[in-house]
Amino acid sequence: MNSLYVEGDSFFHRLPPRPKLILLLTASLALFLTRSPLLLGLSAGAAALLYGSLGIGWQQSWIRLRPILLTIAIVALATLVLNSMEEGGVVLLRLTTLMLIAAAVTATVPIGSFIDEITLAARPMERLGLVKAADIGLSVGLVIRFVPEVVLRFQQLRQAHQARGLKVRATTMIVPLIIQTLKSADEIAAAIDARGIRGQRHARNLEDSR
Amino acid sequence: MDIRFEQAGATFGDRVAVEPLTLSLSERRVAIIGLNGSGKTTFARMINGLVVPTSGRVTVNGSDTASAGESVRRQVGFIFQNPQNQIILPILREDIALGLKSRRLSAAAVDDAIEAILARFGIEHLAARRAHELSGGELQLAALASVLVTDPEIVILDEPTNQLDLRNRALVERTLRTLDETVIVISHDLALIEDFDRVLMFHEGRLLGDGAPRDVIAGYRKIAAA
Repeated sequence: MNSLYVEGDSFFHRLPPRPKLILLLTASLALFLTRSPLLLGLSAGAAALLYGSLGIGWQQSWIRLRPILLTIAIVALATLVLNSMEEGGVVLLRLTTLMLIAAAVTATVPIGSFIDEITLAARPMERLGLVKAADIGLSVGLVIRFVPEVVLRFQQLRQAHQARGLKVRATTMIVPLIIQTLKSADEIAAAIDARGIRGQRHARNLEDSR
Repeated sequence: MDIRFEQAGATFGDRVAVEPLTLSLSERRVAIIGLNGSGKTTFARMINGLVVPTSGRVTVNGSDTASAGESVRRQVGFIFQNPQNQIILPILREDIALGLKSRRLSAAAVDDAIEAILARFGIEHLAARRAHELSGGELQLAALASVLVTDPEIVILDEPTNQLDLRNRALVERTLRTLDETVIVISHDLALIEDFDRVLMFHEGRLLGDGAPRDVIAGYRKIAAA
């Protein structure tokens, strides 16, 4: 399996996970408190500098960010068409800033540290009997762990199409991608159960009798 | 180690995966063989409660897999056919730590346990490596380490030498021989299991063979050739 984490020795790498997650949380809220193109533009510039300081490189950055950039472009374009150019620009700058900060955080925090921090943050809710903190941490960790897996599966499916001389179409890609992803998720859930990583959980009878 | 099946069977919808059977296992090295789809993986999953019996009951050291699943899974580790899915977090050290942290051990105890299990398998150099960088044999050892670090009494391995080259196969075979735990192996690799204490053979959901390796393997070869 691959990982979004990138080893490095930048300032942001050396920063402990907690301030990075607080930065991300604060930015997620603060960016929606302003509509100033100047402020948003400065934020986007600062976020770009931050991401650039990680030493990931242009090509690797493009590969990692391309799907999200495409999504942001579509959302911004739709906003521009349906509302105004100013509104579209605000959406573009806000989401790009958030994407760059989030990408910088995921690139510099190993998944294990993510799980630890989120679990710790959820402990007060556990004391109130609302959630199991370890489950919240594990869920967030698994989401981050799965992102490159899904991208990898997509690439493998595309190569399989090309190898058979088939045109790559959304209709022939989505169903196998979903099935493969769900099957893999099921196996990982079984592994989590088997290793007793979660607390109490009822066993499921899997349709598997190889 | 005492595993008991008491008229325990498993069905998925209309399909019978394992017909009800009664047996007990107490040998240290047990192998399960059979053609694809014969029910051997379902049988193995019934031992650690990943599959609960739809009839009868299964107990491990007296704990019922249906009602005391967590207790059973602490006693029975399971290595899946595809170790890529066994290793939940990308970096080996993180993944091994995951199983320990869920037991709320101190950071120092987690570190000590990780060092000990890595040293046991001689894979200290893999601690910071990513799972996708490991060879097939190294992946199997990593999966073993991640499971055995929590100290189960029994470990089940589902086709541990599947798709391994000769070098990695030999590595896994050597490691299996050194394990102190009770080992249950599902395998198509008959050479791997020929010196095991007991072999079970499944065919179309039924237990067709149970005994010494030579006899059961001979029966299996006949079925496979038919």
